This record gives sequence, structure tokens and C-alpha cells, in this order.
Amino acid sequence: MPQIRLQHVTKRFGKAIAVDDLNIEIGDGEFVTLLGPSGCGKTTTLRMIAGLETPTEGEIFIDDVCVFSSEKGIDISPDKRNVGFLFQNYALWPHMTVYKNISFGLENMKWDKERIDARVKELLTMLRIEEFHGRYPSELSGGQQQRVAIARTLATGPKILFMDEPLSNLDAKLRMEMRTELKRLHVETGSTFVYVTHDQLEAMTLSTKICLLREGLLQQYEPPLDVYHYPSNYFVADFVGSPNINAIEMSGEQVNLDEIKLTSEDLNLLYTPTTSSITIPKGKKLLLGIRPEDISIVEEGTIDAVIYSTLPSGMETIVKLEIGKLLITCVVFGGVDFEMGNKVKIAFDAKSYVLFDAESEKNLASGTLS
Amino acid sequence: MNYRNRFKSFIKKPQNIILVSLAFILIYLTVIPMITIVIDTFTVHQSELMRVKGAKVGDFTLYHWTKVLFSSASKKIFYEPFLNTLFVSFGTCFIAILLGGMVAWLVTRTNLRYKGIISTLFIFPYIMPSWTLAMAWLNFFKNSLVGGAPGIFTAITGVQTPNWFAYGPFPIVVVLGLHYAPFAYILIGGILRNMDANLEEAALILKASRAKIMRKITIPIVLPAMLSTFLLVFSSAMSAFAVPAFLGTAVRYQVLTTQMFRTLNGLNPGYGYIMALLMIAIGVLILGINQRIIGTRKSFTTITGKSSNISLINLRAFRTPVSVVLLGSIMLVCIVPLISFALESFIMEPGNYSLDNFTTLFWVGSGSPEIANGEPGILRNVSILKGLWNSVRLSVMVSFIAGSVGILAGYAIVKKKNTRLSALVNNLAFFPYLMPSMAFGAIYLSMFAVKRGFIPPLYGTFALLVLVGSVKYLPFASRASVGAMHQLSNEIEEAGTIQGIGWAKRMLKIIIPIQKASFISGYLLPFISCMRELSLFILLVTPSSRILTTMLFQYNEKGWNQYANAINLLIVLFVVASNVVVNRVTGASIDKGIGGN
Repeated sequence: MPQIRLQHVTKRFGKAIAVDDLNIEIGDGEFVTLLGPSGCGKTTTLRMIAGLETPTEGEIFIDDVCVFSSEKGIDISPDKRNVGFLFQNYALWPHMTVYKNISFGLENMKWDKERIDARVKELLTMLRIEEFHGRYPSELSGGQQQRVAIARTLATGPKILFMDEPLSNLDAKLRMEMRTELKRLHVETGSTFVYVTHDQLEAMTLSTKICLLREGLLQQYEPPLDVYHYPSNYFVADFVGSPNINAIEMSGEQVNLDEIKLTSEDLNLLYTPTTSSITIPKGKKLLLGIRPEDISIVEEGTIDAVIYSTLPSGMETIVKLEIGKLLITCVVFGGVDFEMGNKVKIAFDAKSYVLFDAESEKNLASGTLS
Repeated sequence: MNYRNRFKSFIKKPQNIILVSLAFILIYLTVIPMITIVIDTFTVHQSELMRVKGAKVGDFTLYHWTKVLFSSASKKIFYEPFLNTLFVSFGTCFIAILLGGMVAWLVTRTNLRYKGIISTLFIFPYIMPSWTLAMAWLNFFKNSLVGGAPGIFTAITGVQTPNWFAYGPFPIVVVLGLHYAPFAYILIGGILRNMDANLEEAALILKASRAKIMRKITIPIVLPAMLSTFLLVFSSAMSAFAVPAFLGTAVRYQVLTTQMFRTLNGLNPGYGYIMALLMIAIGVLILGINQRIIGTRKSFTTITGKSSNISLINLRAFRTPVSVVLLGSIMLVCIVPLISFALESFIMEPGNYSLDNFTTLFWVGSGSPEIANGEPGILRNVSILKGLWNSVRLSVMVSFIAGSVGILAGYAIVKKKNTRLSALVNNLAFFPYLMPSMAFGAIYLSMFAVKRGFIPPLYGTFALLVLVGSVKYLPFASRASVGAMHQLSNEIEEAGTIQGIGWAKRMLKIIIPIQKASFISGYLLPFISCMRELSLFILLVTPSSRILTTMLFQYNEKGWNQYANAINLLIVLFVVASNVVVNRVTGASIDKGIGGN
């Protein structure tokens, strides 16, 4: 049974369309990330599911209960949707102590004192913030505030948890730590998480499914590795992965039944589609997508390249290569470095490379290069 | 979504209900009065029947407009007071900005001594009613040329002050300038304090001299704030009534407000309405200009940085003398007037300051028939105590209504920001600020003298005073509240919404406690303004609804000097005391609301 279902959800602010005819299903216990550049409608989507924003059109179901329908005039208020919401700036109430911040919602649900006390203590322990219970938010560090905010959100035991860029206000190290915590929390609580971020790495590492949006339109809704390896279009391919995917403009020509000759000023390659068989008219403009890790610098390589610059970071080295006038990025794992200006040989020997239509930027096929 | 459903989800949100009801109420209380005032400039009133020949009450006429603007009498009726108003307003601005700007610069940018006490005391003249300094001026410098007893200065030195010094434009400009200098101080000081010191330090590193930095960096950055101060002081000075009334009447120096009072109270309400309309037009124009300037000003102040470790200019040898002289003169302006009121209220025969002339008659005496019609001393005087009670009652009610409505208005305006409805209510709630108090009072007089819909005729009732006060001071409260709500992220409230905390509880337990200080200053400002307000109420009070300030005005007009001084002292002490109490208890202060930090 899908837990959250959006059907033809559209949100307009005046004439601007924030979310355009969105259809997604989020299953029970999933960790879904809404990913996209700023202004793509991801936060709006999250807020509409939570009930903080009213959609212009469409229907939203939570646990098969219709919580919003523009047709039927249903709009259930956020507190009756049994959801939790973690805000970007935590939204802790500055005039209440940590304890009070967590207990306030429970008091409001008319729990008795002992039960509230037990629940708050449980959460304080779970998030390892016991010693701060008497402090005010302003007396806590960013990471501690974040934990309090999580505790407050979890207090009422919501089955669904919404998070709006919860880690973007933390420094890099803390963010790393909190990612681990969030993933652990997802398993421990067994709740469904819906998570908004513009950080593709966060989306890749945390979620079970990524929902990628662009200007209010759904681009792809699949597990992270599928999005990574089989991007539905060039925008998606470019958005996920760091360093970015190399896109080489080439013109195509069908040579054998199943092979395509790709040519550009500096490169000539033979492409064999493996996912589907496609027919390319002669001279069609194509984009060849090559992930940086799919280029290997090997002595037996067939293509000549010059080292343009290197960025060694210990675990890996990002190398910019010059092939004629073409500049491409590749990643070499392990602590190796190269001399700038040196000549090397490279090979495209990975299992799959993506081919896009240069005009529509749509994914045409995945295949191998030779 | 169909319209019925859209409507259903619209009215479910409290902020929508607040905005819609406020839009209706405020249109009724501000826009409709504007329309009635326009109509009033074209109608014949009861008292004008004699002049407009052959007309009936309520007839359409161009008489007022032609008479005021294009007749041989226009010069006396309108143009002269208009030019006087311009002169007074420009003069006031000049003095206020010069003084306020100088003190602001000294306090924020130099190593002046006694900064704490100077910045506290300097606000004082603004907290006191504006006519306080005017009365003090009269107590000191009035001469016997116009009639009556001479002031303290003449009594001590034996020198008669010339008329130009004692009455008319000169003292009006000086007194209003002193009154509004704190206003300039707060606005300019705020900018100086928030300005990134790095901007100046960057110039210093590039080897610019102090004078050059001042000229090329500091002043250009502060200039928009100065212009904005100029416009706000200008519009306030333009609508000032009490000071010109106190200082100008003796030499028949009329400005628009005093002229308006004469015509509205006398035989030509039509003239008065025209003047009111013109003053509102100027006010709107000024605020329009101001808003444009503020729009660009923001681009300066967003580049704020660490201005904490700014290097203060060393005044060196001047440090102590400047500090002492400044503190001394501020004390002089703040405290000496109060002493003069006390002094004047204890002397039997005005102008005679010998010890045997002192009496407590005007405070606690039972009244004797040969003085002031047997009026008892003010602490035993039933009608004065009733006036005090009325003043307090009025101020409390007005501040409660204006403050509470202001909170709701600010909440809803910010919640629905960038919508047309929100902008409309925001402007409506600010509109009363533009209306000169006297004109506002006049409109309500004409509008509520008769039965309006379900509202019974309110003239002469206390309710009318509460109504006019609440609307007039709503801008203070709504501005404070809009500012407070802007600082509060929307998520703070949503965090409560999502946990099922109801709207009332969210307001009372989350939003209001967090922004307590700002909201309280939204109550405090109307309270203090109302306590010292004269021109707004002067046309509306009747003997049963008299308040302290209007009584002061009447006693002063009758020449019962000692009573007037005693009442004034009472008002000043009350206003200052309540400000101090609220400040101590809640941390809110009046300078917060008028643009301070």
C-alpha cells in the first residue's frame, strides 16, 4: 500500500507555476529525497504534502485517506495529517527550554505529566542531549539545536517525517555526522521520511529513492544509483555526481546494424547501445555522457591526452585532460598524482556510457565505447 | 479548484479573516472620512449660511475653494499661514537634524564621556509633550509688551525680551527643533551604529584623511537616513498645533494648524477642511518620497558587518569640555522646564518671585472667589481629577485597542505578504499617520455627529475619543508589530501548527512571548502619545469627556497660568513615569518604536 500519493498536483503562485502536474507515490518506510536546484518546487511540494501550503489543483492521499482534493474541497489541516516536520532553521521556540520545546506538543495533546516526562527523557537519551534539557536554544550549538529539533519532531510519534534541508545550516563535518544519524534514525523509527535538499550528495547517500525536479516538473523518480547510472536526461546526469559528468558534443552516424559512429573534431568513437536498439540518422547532433570515473589512464589506452591540471585529495585525484581542444575531467582513485603537461594514454573501457539527444537532451541509450 | 472550495480554504485561515475584516473596518474609518472631507470642502455648513448667499445647508458650493485660494482674502486666510508653516517646518528640520545628527555622531563615533546618560536624556524632549518646552519658554521669556506678567528672565535681569524673541516664528522653530532633535538622533544614530565600520576603515587604509572620510564615505552613506529624517520631521512639524498655538497666538502668528482650528471651530468649517485636505496631500507626498528613499537606503545597510570594533575618534583636549557642555545643555533642556512649571505653579502673583509670594493654593487650596472663579487647587479639584481619570482611561483603552489590533494586523500582513490584500491593509493601517491630528479630529467630528448606519451619533461621547485615538495610533502599533513579525520566521509558527497547537494558543504561547518587547512598545507608544495628545481631541471633547491636555489648553487660554503649569507638570511626570516603569518592567522603550534599535 503506498503511504503517500500525489495525483496531478499543481501549485501556482499568481502566474508562476511552482509545481506542475506532479504524480508520485511514496511507499511505507521509504526515505525519499526531493532534489533539485533552488526554485524547482521541492520545498513547495513538501509543504503541500504536510498541509502548510494549499495546492492549486490535484489530490493528495496519506495512507489512502484523502487529505487534499481541489475537486471535492477537502483540505485537512496539518495537525490532523499525523506528520512531523523538521525545518531548515530548526524553528526552535527561543523562549522555551529544550525540555519545554519537546514537551509543548505533548502537553497540547493532553498527555498526563508522567507520560510526557518519560517520553521527553526517552527522546533526550535517544538523541544524546540529556545534559541540555534545561538550556535555551540560543545556548546550544547548531548541531545540538538540530538534535533538539529532531526530538521535538519525533515527540508525538509521527508515522511520516518531513525534512526541509535540515542540514544546510551545519558545517561540513557536522553535516556528515548528522547524515549518519538521520539514516540510523530512519531505520530505528521505521517511519517514512521525505527529505528536501539541493545537495545531490545528500540525496545520493541518504535516500531509497530520489525525486528530481526542475522548474516544477518531475525529471526522474528512481533509486539513487539508477538515477546516477541511467539519468533520464542530460539535466539529471549533470545534476547528480561530483565532479560533473563530461558531455561531449558529437555527431552520429549509423554504421552497422547496431553500431553508431560518433565523430567530433578531436574524437572518433564507435558506440554500441546495450539497453535498446536505436536508429540515428546521419549527422544527428548527440551528447555523449562520460562519468569521470569511467575514463582510465592506462598505458595500453588508444587515445592521446595531455594532463591539464590535477587536484589530488589523497583518496582520489581529479584530473583534467586535454584531448586536442577538448577538456574533460576524470577521477583516478588512490593517492596518485601526475605532472602537468605530461602526455598520457586513456581508454573508455567502462560498462556503460549514456547517449543523449543534443537537442531534446533526452536519454537515448546506454552502451559501450570502443 | 472551484470557487466554493477556494473560499472554504480561504476562510479557514485566521490571517485571511483578520485581513478581510480589517480591510472593511479601516476603509470605513479612514477612506470614507477622506471622502467626506472632500465633500465637505464643497458643501455649505450651518455656520456659513450668512456668507454663502441664498444657500441651504448641504448645498454644493465652490465658495470655500475660491475664497481660500483665489480671492483678495486668500492671502490672510491661506497663503500667509501656509508660508509660515513652510518656514516653521524647514526651520525645525534644520535645527533638529543639526542637533540630532551632531549628538548621534558624537555618541557613536567619538570617545565622548557620559554616553549612557546623554543618550537617555536626549530622548527626553521627545517623550515630553511638545508644548512642554513652549510653556517653559513662556515661563522664562514672556514679556509684558503683549500683556500679563513678565517671565523669570525679565524678573531676574530686569531686561524686557523683545517680541520676536518671546513669541512667533523664532521660539516656535527653536522649541519644535529641540522637540524633534531626538527623532533625528534616533534615526541617524541607528544608521551610524549599523554602518559597517570596514567601509570607513577601508578608506583609512587607503590613506584618506578623517575629513575626507567624513565627506566622501560617512555622509553619503548617512544621507538617505538624513533625508528620511528630514521628511518625517517636516511632516510632524507641519502638523504640530500646540507649540504654534502657545507661542504664536500672542503676536497673531498663524500657521495652517492654528488657522484650521480657528476656522473649524469658528464660522468657516469649509476653509478648515480645505486646509486639512491640503495638509494630508502634502503628508502623502512626503511619505511617498520617503518610501522611495528608504527603498534605496536598504541597499546601504544590508552590507552591515562587524561594527563593534570601530576605532572611535579621539576628541583629545576637547573630550571633557564637549562632554560637559553637551550634558549640561541637555540637562538644561530636560530639567529646567520642569523646575519652571513647579515654580510657576507655586507663586501667587505671576511675575513676582519673592519668597513671600509662594503658595500651595493652586495645588491643594480650596479655592478663593477672587482667583480664577474660585477654582480649587488641582489636587482637590474634582473636574481636574476627572480629567486625569479620563486621560488615563482614554489612554489605556486606546493603547489596548490600537496595540491589540496592531498585533493582529502585523501578524496577518506579514503572514500574507506579497498579496494585494496584505498590501492594502498595510497601507490602510498606516494611512492615519499621514493625517494631521487636527484634520483627523475634524473629520470624525463631521462624520460621527449624525447616526451612521448602526452607529449612533457619537459626538460628545467618550467612545468617539477612544475610536479616533485608536485609529490615529494604529500605525505605531501595526508598524511595531509588522517589524516584529518580519524578524520571526514563519517556521516558528508552523512548528506549532504541525503539532496541532491551535491558533489562539500559538499566538499567546509562541508568537507573542517571543516578540514581547516589540509588541509591548506597540502598546506603549499609543499610550504615551494619547496621554499627551492635544490637537486630535481638542475638537471632539465636551465638558463631560474633558481630558487633561484639553483642560491645560483651556486654562492657558483663560490665562490661569498657575493651574496650567501645575497640570502640565502632572502630565509630564505621568508620561515620563509610565515610560520608565514600562521600560524597567518589560525592556520595551519608546525609541524602539520610532525607528531606534
